Amino acid sequence: MDQILNVLVVGLLLGGIYGLVSIGLNLIFGVVRIVNFAQGELVMFGMYGSYFAYNQMGINPYLSVFIVAPLVGLLGVAIQRFVIQPLHAESNMQIFATFGLLMMFQNIMLAISKGEAWSVGGTMGTLVWDIGDIKVSVVRFISFAAVTLITIGLHFFLKQTIAGKAIRAVTQDKRAARAMGINVERTYLITFGIGSALAGLAGVLLTPIYAITPGVGGNFILAAFAVVVLGGLGSVCGAYIGGMIVGVVEAFAGFYIDPVLRSAVWFLIFLIVLIVRPSGLMGQVGAEEVGFREQN
Amino acid sequence: MNKTNSNVSTHALIDSATSVWGKYLLGMFALALPGVLLYHDAHWINIIAFTYLMAGVAAAWNIIGGFGGQFSLGHGVFFSIGAYATARIYISFDLSPWLITLPIAVCAAAVAALISWPTFRLRGPFFAIATLAFNEVAFVLANHFDSLTGGPRGLMISFKASLGNMIFKDRWQYAILMFGFVALVVAVSVALRRTRLGYYLLAVREDEDSARASGIDVLKVKLQGMALSAALTSVGGTLFAMYLRFIDPPTLFTLPEVGVKFALISLIGGIGTIAGPVLGAVLIIPFENYLRAEFANSLPGMSLVILGFLMVMAALFMKKGVYGLLLDILQKIKGKKGDAP
Amino acid sequence: MTAMLDIQHASKHFLGLRAVDDVSMSVKKGEIVSIIGPNGAGKTTFFNLITGQLAPTMGDVVFLGQKVNDLAPHQRAKIGMGRTFQISKPLIAMSVLENVMIGTFKNESSMNRAKEKAIEVLETVSMLDLAGKRSGDLTLSQRRRLEVARALALEPQIMLLDEVMAGLNQSEVSQSIELLQRLHAQGHTFLIIEHNLKVVRAFSERVLVLDQGRLIAEGSAEEILNAPEVIKAYLGEGHQWKKS
Repeated sequence: MDQILNVLVVGLLLGGIYGLVSIGLNLIFGVVRIVNFAQGELVMFGMYGSYFAYNQMGINPYLSVFIVAPLVGLLGVAIQRFVIQPLHAESNMQIFATFGLLMMFQNIMLAISKGEAWSVGGTMGTLVWDIGDIKVSVVRFISFAAVTLITIGLHFFLKQTIAGKAIRAVTQDKRAARAMGINVERTYLITFGIGSALAGLAGVLLTPIYAITPGVGGNFILAAFAVVVLGGLGSVCGAYIGGMIVGVVEAFAGFYIDPVLRSAVWFLIFLIVLIVRPSGLMGQVGAEEVGFREQN
Repeated sequence: MNKTNSNVSTHALIDSATSVWGKYLLGMFALALPGVLLYHDAHWINIIAFTYLMAGVAAAWNIIGGFGGQFSLGHGVFFSIGAYATARIYISFDLSPWLITLPIAVCAAAVAALISWPTFRLRGPFFAIATLAFNEVAFVLANHFDSLTGGPRGLMISFKASLGNMIFKDRWQYAILMFGFVALVVAVSVALRRTRLGYYLLAVREDEDSARASGIDVLKVKLQGMALSAALTSVGGTLFAMYLRFIDPPTLFTLPEVGVKFALISLIGGIGTIAGPVLGAVLIIPFENYLRAEFANSLPGMSLVILGFLMVMAALFMKKGVYGLLLDILQKIKGKKGDAP
Repeated sequence: MTAMLDIQHASKHFLGLRAVDDVSMSVKKGEIVSIIGPNGAGKTTFFNLITGQLAPTMGDVVFLGQKVNDLAPHQRAKIGMGRTFQISKPLIAMSVLENVMIGTFKNESSMNRAKEKAIEVLETVSMLDLAGKRSGDLTLSQRRRLEVARALALEPQIMLLDEVMAGLNQSEVSQSIELLQRLHAQGHTFLIIEHNLKVVRAFSERVLVLDQGRLIAEGSAEEILNAPEVIKAYLGEGHQWKKS
């Protein structure tokens, strides 16, 4: 029984991490309707940013969030404005463009870091709480707490603020939103900015947990796609719950079968959801055809 | 049957077979030239051989990615089926690669049809993600089933040169093999473009609903295109294994090196055209080689930064690729000539 | 005479919205039937039910005597439904001739025969001089004509045209009407969605009126087009059709 509880806890904490990475991606997916292949790299930039802040300026990694997240957010706005916006109707070219960005970002960091893996020093990563017989990693718990707070905060932002309502309107029906006077292009910019900032934030929170390498984004991106699809386009709560589910399934599969099967788990979840229930658990958008419903 | 009495020549409306195959022969001749001229230079002939191979695989990808408009990022899976199956069967059973290339290609086609059948229902980006995920899963499987694939250590083919083994002493002999491969794939593309399947693929790319209204079974067409593309890609994988004689999971599944590179080459050269993938390979492979040599120690990964940058630029500004650009320039020149008094 | 196309109590519900609500109608061989109605009335959705892009929530589509509910769109095209779309999407990279050939492949497997058939079709729609032109370079009116040609290439039993006149100027409309009348004289059957009442008047035998998914009126062209409500909704009160 304890074993099961431990695996469950590991899964939930992992789910917290996936949720962190996926929430920004989900927002971008739901609004701008593009697959941002470079999202994992934005997380990676968050990690490197936190590293530099700590190494060069002595700032506590967790506090560096306030510098790093906005910077990554600005990068996101630039990406949307100069790369995505010109390609607004061409989803195939968007795939190439964002994948090209992925390659650029990964390899720029490779050139800078010369292939060394870095980590933010300190023993925080190894701290563990013992709750009865269950071991809870402190830094992972912090991530979990953070994603919970972010989800709640974002939920209120989307429901109560004008910008948030605009985002929800554009998610549901771009044309109708435009007809109501909402500046759709600006909403895209804001959304990409927020989504990227969230990725940067995720990166900062993950520095004590993962070694910082140029390819670290690859650890999350496929899982993040599975989470977004499972949770449903445009639903922040869906991404949160989806993250938990993916994390728990992966933990149990890893424990009882083979840890190396994680990518198979993500992939199966992705495929099954898209075939059985394309709109995901809580999708705002009912995808009538499997995959996206195109908005022209 | 009533003959049309218009004076529009019906033959001029579609490029005649002779003009198309004539262009093919001309193109292949031009492509062979560097190989012929530099066959004795070990450094260059290696690059040339690799260029031919990549051109062929890019042209194979182009069948489903360019003609059919289905951007698969998972062709590395078929490439590695060719590579691993050939290496494994050659090592274990001492069968000549010449004999097993075709059956393996057929298997790759079957695998392609199987995994594409559920994923072709997905729209553009989701389809690409699914193919990416296949690549991931294949990578994991390759690492896991080490009795078959050698796991992380990979498979090594010992050097025993003979024509029957498809192992050659001199690199220029490999170059001939690779050239044969690209000539084959391009010939298949040329022929395909003039068949019903070729037309149907283009129709599916353009608009699926419109295609259905014309009586096209969209899923069947996609599956056929994918199977053909996968089979040819697998042959490329076979040649790759026999050339390098060492394959391991990172070599075969690193996306920017393999699966995505096929797409990248086609995009930069001219997606959906026949000459595009070949042109792309000719431009990129030697250039990439140069970049890697230049920056290997000072700035690792620089070649991929530049390739990634080119990909973004091509997607934004040069969707028709270099080939499309050249055609446009040609049109403008022709136009100017027409205006001259 | 049994109907060629028989729609029985077709309905399409989307999450509580009744896009098409219990519509029954039929088209006989050689007839010209028009469907009119305000925007959002469900006309294109209705077409989608007929050609198979959407599955009906309830009801049956019977074509040439057989129930086709289970047939996919491409299968329905194969048994004789030719259809155009509101937003025409030709294969822009290919020539006009090649665009039409796509449709002829349904019945011809030889490239040469397909080409010859396509040329015949282009002659019928008076586009033969444009045969070699890249279809991305066509004007709107030419694109519409190409859409019709692609449907004709299937040698269809029925032509389903969705607002094929939208965006055309008066002389283009007249030319198109002339083409459709010629095709009708050759024996083609038509079910068309149309906004332009002058087109409906020139080219319809029966008219159906759809509003909010329901069939609210059906009758001869003469009856419907002179109904006061229709005139008021489309043309302004007091409009009188010119004698022609």
